[in-house]
Amino acid sequence: MGLSQRLVNWARIKSPWITLFNSGACNACDIEVIAALTPRFDVERFGILAQGSPRHADILIVTGPVTKKQAPRLRRIWEQMPEPKYVIAMGACGASGGVFRGLYHVVDGVENVIPVDVFVAGCPPRPDEIINAVVACLGLVKEDLAHGGKEWRQKKPTVIPRVETPPKEVTA
Amino acid sequence: MTEPALKPDAVQDALGDLGTVETVRWNRVKVSTKIEKVREAILRAQSLLACDHVVQISAVDNGKSFELIYHLTGPHRMVIALAIDIPRDKPEVPTTSDILPPAGIYERQIHDLLGIVFRGHPDLRRIILNEDWPANEFPLRKDWKMDPNKFYGGVPPEVK
Repeated sequence: MGLSQRLVNWARIKSPWITLFNSGACNACDIEVIAALTPRFDVERFGILAQGSPRHADILIVTGPVTKKQAPRLRRIWEQMPEPKYVIAMGACGASGGVFRGLYHVVDGVENVIPVDVFVAGCPPRPDEIINAVVACLGLVKEDLAHGGKEWRQKKPTVIPRVETPPKEVTA
Repeated sequence: MTEPALKPDAVQDALGDLGTVETVRWNRVKVSTKIEKVREAILRAQSLLACDHVVQISAVDNGKSFELIYHLTGPHRMVIALAIDIPRDKPEVPTTSDILPPAGIYERQIHDLLGIVFRGHPDLRRIILNEDWPANEFPLRKDWKMDPNKFYGGVPPEVK
């Protein structure tokens, strides 16, 4: 690893830039993210900075149970982000669809559209939990840099060996 | 609370021959009228009752028919609700977007979710459902069921 690459990695961990995407949320999560950016919580001590454009961001915070109309847009936003990119799914809706699960217009959670690195529980999560999630994401960034990529923690499909059982004899 | 300046008797005088007038609340009068008379009723409410504002157009599927209600109001703060009943087998209503310009966007929404056709509407495109939603599927109808074999838009399965 060259000096310039090490410098970039150091800077990345010292200052993660985040961007927020509302994929059909009720706005409670968005308000909590805005509250987390206020001086009361002082996220600048972690170098966290909110960015307007996904092209400038390292971490994408997604709120809401992704609606079918927003799903292609969310995917395009995610594709616009430069590597390495990390995704935080916020709230019960981002994890599973929440109260909107199974409705005709949602795809039930962010993970059905883009890969998610960190889930935050709550409806809505407190600003402290959001900051904790971003810091947990930084831990993932550090481990990924040590492993040289995200592949080490991606789940492999488990193959369950099939046991052939003969059909039961039916006696009349 | 101040009493609205418009009295229910004035509504009875202006719209009484188009349908039954009843006072539902202290500031709300409901006029149950027919599909073919609703444009006439709106024009009269605008000219005789000073209703220059459409609050909203609400539609509901009550199982037997569609109920469409135009909520109109004006500087007198009395809400006049023009209610019509639309049969399920022929859900067609003349548009009101030429006499009530803000009504056009409500009509697009109702057309999108309930499948009521507004005859004469200039631009009855989708507004609220996603662009790749299949045709002739109206999710707010009570007899609508999601077909598990159909693709309702969102992320195509192969991209997932």
